[in-house]
Formats: sequence, C-alpha cells, structure tokens
Amino acid sequence: MASSTPSSPGERISRWRWRWLWILPRLAFILFVGGVALLLWTSDRADKEERHATLISDILWLEQNLRFHLTRNEELLGRIDQAHTANAAAFESYAHTLFGYESGLRQLIWLSTDGTVRLAHPAAMDPSLVGDAGEAVPSRQSFGLARSLAKPVYSKAYPYFTNDWQFEVHVPVSREGRIVGVAVGVYRIRDLLSDSVPWWLAERYRISVIGDSGKVLGTRSKVESTVTEEGYQVAFDPPGWGLALHAVPYHAPRPLASLLLSGSLVILAIIVLWSLWILRRHVLRRQAVEEQLRQEHAFRKAMEDSLDTGMRARNLDGEIIYVNPAFCRMVGWSAAELIGRRPPMPYWADDYLDETRALHDSVLAGEGPGEGFELKLKRRNGETIDVLIHEAPLIDARGRHSGWMGSMVDITERKQAEERARQQQDRLQSTARLVAMGEMASSIAHELNQPLAAISSYCTGAANLLRSDTPAAEVLPALDKAVEQARRAGQVIRRVYGLARHSEDRFELIRLEERIDDALALMEVDIRQNGIRVVLDFQARPLVEGDPVLLEQALFNLFRNAVESMRDTAPDQRQIGITLTCADRYALLTIADRGCGIAANVADKLFDPLFTTKTEGMGMGLAICRSVVENHRGRLSFEPNPGGGTVFRILLPMASQ
Amino acid sequence: MSSTTTHIVDDDPAVRDALQWLLQSRGVSSRTWESASDFLAFARRDLCGCLLLDVRMPGMSGIELFDRLRALRCRLPVIFLTGHGDVPMAVQALKDGAFDFIEKPYDDNALVDKVLAAIVQDTKRSARDDSMLLMEQKLSQLTQREQDVMQRILAGKLNKVIADELGIAMRTVEVHRSRIFEKMKVRSAVELSQMLNLLADKSES
Repeated sequence: MASSTPSSPGERISRWRWRWLWILPRLAFILFVGGVALLLWTSDRADKEERHATLISDILWLEQNLRFHLTRNEELLGRIDQAHTANAAAFESYAHTLFGYESGLRQLIWLSTDGTVRLAHPAAMDPSLVGDAGEAVPSRQSFGLARSLAKPVYSKAYPYFTNDWQFEVHVPVSREGRIVGVAVGVYRIRDLLSDSVPWWLAERYRISVIGDSGKVLGTRSKVESTVTEEGYQVAFDPPGWGLALHAVPYHAPRPLASLLLSGSLVILAIIVLWSLWILRRHVLRRQAVEEQLRQEHAFRKAMEDSLDTGMRARNLDGEIIYVNPAFCRMVGWSAAELIGRRPPMPYWADDYLDETRALHDSVLAGEGPGEGFELKLKRRNGETIDVLIHEAPLIDARGRHSGWMGSMVDITERKQAEERARQQQDRLQSTARLVAMGEMASSIAHELNQPLAAISSYCTGAANLLRSDTPAAEVLPALDKAVEQARRAGQVIRRVYGLARHSEDRFELIRLEERIDDALALMEVDIRQNGIRVVLDFQARPLVEGDPVLLEQALFNLFRNAVESMRDTAPDQRQIGITLTCADRYALLTIADRGCGIAANVADKLFDPLFTTKTEGMGMGLAICRSVVENHRGRLSFEPNPGGGTVFRILLPMASQ
Repeated sequence: MSSTTTHIVDDDPAVRDALQWLLQSRGVSSRTWESASDFLAFARRDLCGCLLLDVRMPGMSGIELFDRLRALRCRLPVIFLTGHGDVPMAVQALKDGAFDFIEKPYDDNALVDKVLAAIVQDTKRSARDDSMLLMEQKLSQLTQREQDVMQRILAGKLNKVIADELGIAMRTVEVHRSRIFEKMKVRSAVELSQMLNLLADKSES
C-alpha cells in the first residue's frame, strides 16, 4: 500500500505540518510567558517609582508641616507680653496654653535682655542636663545671635537624656521698637515628631531626624523597618544645623490586583501547558488508533479486492449499497454504476427477468433458498454467465438487520464442463451401446453362419455327387444333415427373438402416472438445463398390465426425443404437455412437444430399427418404443401438434379388474 | 514323402463334417481336427496337401496355429476361413505367407477349387524340397578340402591357380575336381554352378 511507504510526498507534507502544529503552541506559550514576565516587571518597576514619588511628596509634606509648626510657635513665642511675664503663675498658664497646641514644645523660658533666666516652665533646671549638653541652657550663642539679629534663632541639637535630643528656639520679644527679652522654646525632637507627624504617615514610614554626622536623633516610632531599600531624606531647616528628616517605608505593599493578576497568569500558564500536554497525548493516541484503523481498513480492502468471489450488499429496499471488484469484473459494470441501483439490475439476463425478479423478491422477503441458488446473469457485453449465489442477512454494528449480503461465484465454466462431461458421457454410453449391439449382432451372425455354411457345403457336395451320377442313396445322408443344420439355424433365430421379447410373466399392474413421473425424474437435468416447462394433465389414473421397466424405458425415450427436438425452439416456447385420459377400455397417453416436428419423407421410416435423424443416434429409440407398446398389446402413433411440434399417442389396454 | 491330405481344423462339428463331405464329393481326401492344438500335436515338417483353417475358434485361434506352424517350418499351404469381421486379420496372414483366405459364407465349389490349387502347389514345392534335400545330402559328402576346391571352381579359377592358392600340386586339384563331379553327379562346372545357384535361391527365399 502507498501509505506504508515513508517517502510518499503527502506523508512528508503532513509530517512537516504536524511538526509545525506542535512547535507553534510551544512558541506561543514561551512568548506568552515572556510577555507576562515583562509586564510584571514593568508594572513592578512603575509601582516602585510611584512609591518613591509618594515617599518624596510625603516627606516634603512633612517637612512643610513641621516648618509650619515651628513658624507658628515662633509667632506665639514672639507674642509674649508683660502680662505673661508678670509673675510665675501667669507665665505658667501661658506656657500651658502653648504646650496645648501640640506644638512639640517641652519647656518655655523667659530670658531678660542680658540673658538671665527670669522665668521658666517647667522651672526646674537639671544641672546635669546642662552638663550633658556641654553648653549652657539656654544656649548663649543662640541668645546672642537672636538679640543681635532681632530674629528667631535655632540652637544646635543637643542630647537631653541618653536617647533624647533637644533644640531651642530663641525668639526676641520687642516692645515699642526695643527688645525687652527673649522667649526660648525648648523642643524635644522625639516629642516634636510624635506631635506633628500624623498617624497615617507614621504607619507608612519610619520617620527619623538625623544629625549631620548621620546619627539618628529621634524617631517617630521604635519599630525598625524591614525594607532594605533606601529611604529618602530632606534637610530639616529650621532648625537647620545639618539636621535632616529621613523616611523609610515599612513595607513595599504589592498591589493585590497585580498579585492576583500574576498569580492567575501563572496558574493559567500551567493550565495551558497541562492542557497542551493532555491534548498532545490525546492526539498521539488518536493518531495511533487512526493508523491502526487505516491499516485494518487497508487490510480488509485488500482482502475484499483480492477475493475471487463477488460480493454485493443490498439494503432492505433492494438497493445496491456495496459491490467488490470481483463482482464488477463478473458483470462488467463498475461499482459507481452499480451502487444505488434498484431492480431490475442491468446485469439481469433478459430471458430470465421474471425468474430473477421472483428470486430477488423472495430473498428480500427473507424466504430465499438458504443453501444458495444458481442463476443466469448477463454481462455488460451481452454474454450470459452462470453464477452460484448465497444470500445472508446483513447485520450492522448495532445488531440491526440492515440489508442482505450476497456472495457470487462464477460457475459458467464449471457448468460448461459439466455439460461437456455429460455429453461426453452420453456419447460414450451410446458408443458402448453401439459396440455391445455390434458384438451381439456379430455373435448372432457367427452362430447363424455356422449352420448356413454347413447346409451350403452339404448341398453343394450333394449336387456334386448327383452330377457325377452317384446313387441317390449315397447322397441322402448329406441332405439329412443339411436339414438338421437348417433346424439348428432356426433355433438360433428363435433364441434371438426370445432375447428381444421380454417374457410376459413379468407383467404386473402398473399405474401409468407413476411411470411418467419416474421417467420425468430421469430426464430432470435435461429438462431444467433446457428451460423446458412440463405441463401435466392427468384426467384419469388408469391401471394397465405390463412390464414397468420396459414401459418406463419407452416413456423415457419419448421424453428424450421431445426434449431433443426442442433444441432450436425459442426458450419461452419450450414446453412438453403430457395428458392421460381413458377412452373405452384403453388408456390414452399423449406427449406433445413444440419441437421441429417430423418431416413427411421421414414419417414412414420413423419406427424402423436403425433409422435415425440424430447424428449420434442408433435409430433404436422409437423402434424399441413401438416394440414395447405393441408387446403390451397397445399402439404407438404420432401426429403433428397444432401450432408446431409433434404429439405421440400411446394406446394401452386397461387392466381388467 | 507322404500322400496329399487336406486337413480341416474347425471347432464346429457340422461345419467340419460338411466340408469333409464336400471335398469327398470332388474326390479330395481329408482329415478333420476339432481344435488347433490337436492339429499342432500332429503336424510335421513334411506334411503335404492343404490346411483349411477357421480363424475364430475357442482356445488356440487359427492365426496362432498358423504362426506356430511357420515356426515349425511346416510349409503346408493354409486357406483361412474367415467371418465378416476377421478380414483384416486374414489379409495380414496372407502377407505372412498364407495361401489364401475365403470369407464365409463361401461358394463351396470355389473353395474346393482353391484347395485343389493349393494341393498342386504344395506337391510341386514338396518335389522341389526333395531335390534340395538330395543336393544337400550330396554336398555333405564332400570333404573340407573338396569344398575348398569347389568354391574356387565355382569362382571360375583355373586348376593351376587353385593349386597355387591351396599350396597343393596341380595333379591333386585334378583328383579333387573329378571326385567332386562324381559326388555331385554332374558332368561339368557349369552344371555344378546351376545346381548350387538353385540351392542358394531356395535357401534365401
């Protein structure tokens, strides 16, 4: 088969295409994963940048907020007047007012113009603190600068306790153009941050103030950030002095949507990969099954094609649905021309249309002959073929009876061979009969010859003697002997007669119709092969006395003559009519054929022994018939059959009851 | 040297008897045999006369008997009596040296005529056979040397040449020559040559 050759072009193309079919989804999958990764990376990057921008804006906002705080506090400090500084109680209440604004202030100090502390709240000055700072509190330098500049001045940050840092703001207070004192606000950095950094900011970032040496001077909360990325810092001015605000985000919050997106993408990719794999496995398995199926189909097709037996399937309506090549070869029509045809089929023989149709109908009705039947069909070129057909119900895959399957074997040659063999057999038999008859005739001739020769010799001798005047008495014995020999010859003749004429003691009561049936049975093959109809019309069933074997032989001879006379008769005309009637004390049997008839010049000699019109005949058939019939005290005659052919009439006396 | 007799071999006694009667009516003496084997037992080389032989007989057939007789060098002329179907067989027998065949039913006097003809022929043959026999006897009386000399005489050689070839004296050759003529009862070499030619012809046939 072509499909099994690997180098067939169609196969190559389909393999190439097959490879591409698998490469494409893989390529698409890789591109998809790459695209997703790129998308995630860019979105992450954008996210980071955005967070950084937010951080910057947040910290700038915070710096702004602090500046606003400090500026407002400067203004409040600058507004201190005599009423506030009159006594400690007034000062304290003013300090509380200031502290109540969440200003981040922790101590308020009123300095006179010479820098001495007039009032302070909280008043207590822890000397150790001053010592810690390494400078005086409040700072002399800042005081000096503020008084001389007449502007608020911030001091450097200095440690308060171990962890806390403070710085001061010195605000000169002037009245009527003259500086009357300096108000000093002390800020503790940690408190400043906790007062002025809102919760939402503190939640997001770790806010801290860093000194110029990088040391952390205070933070909003003690929680350390887990994020490794660096934060952002801006200068903290005021108070200046190299302080910086630093913010580090606590965590990099991944947006849930992007997480979900990437997660679902990964899951999707896995699903795609998995389904691709499943699909591939399915396709491979399917391919294997397909290949197996194709091979199976090819094998079955090869089997059907190489069969010598014709196969033909019909559906329940009698329509042809399948034929194999052997069938097409037999009938000479192609499968395309046959499939879908309904009866009458083009290959039905014209002469047997009715018969074929009847068979067809009986098969469809499920009453076809089970053991197959022989049929004559016509090839496309007009030749007639003999076929043997077996029909069986066609059961489909669901077990339903869906039509009829027929196998057909061409038996034309077999039939012809059979026919030839039969003719050969007939010839042989007739030859054998001829030889046997010749033998018998020769032996009879020899037996007769002997006495005749002896008689002749005796007589000649006697004549010889008498001519030579021998006394008659001497001649007499020879004559006696001659007479004896003549008697002997007569006995031979009688014996031959006895041979030909069956003795009558074999006679028995015979039913003629039975003998007719038996003789017809002997002829059955010839009758069927020649397509002859036999019409029986028994109006009476008479009994006769006779030899059944001889009568049957006579009937057989007559039937055979009838069959053979119709060789050239049209097939639909071939008919033998047999009637049986009673007339008077005789049974009348007629055998009417539609054969060639009997020519007038032949009619006289018809019953003579050794007269024949057949090339292989012996001329004994009708002679025997007449001899048999007459032996039964009957009569055999013939007359032309009106409408063609001959009628033979046998009259036999009925048995006396 | 026996007298001429016609032998009739036929399995049918009536036919045998009638034939004998017929031959008797013409003065031909005959003897009947009812089977081929009976006659075969009797047959000798020097029978003279004729044999009437039926082709178709039970047991040994006429043809077979004929073949056996030829094997025995019995030269009795044979007339076959044949039925209708036996003609080809009889023709073959004729080719093999049978005298004649006659088909049944036959003209009886014609049959007797044939028998008589056969007897005449056989008598002649018999006489010739006798002279041959005589000559053979004469020849057998010659010695080896005389035969050698006779060969050369017949070849037409002179006494002198013969003496040279055989290495004997001319006188001796002459003695041999006269002895040969005496034994063969001839008077000349020509007569001797004729006599021996006859013999040669006979033995060839």
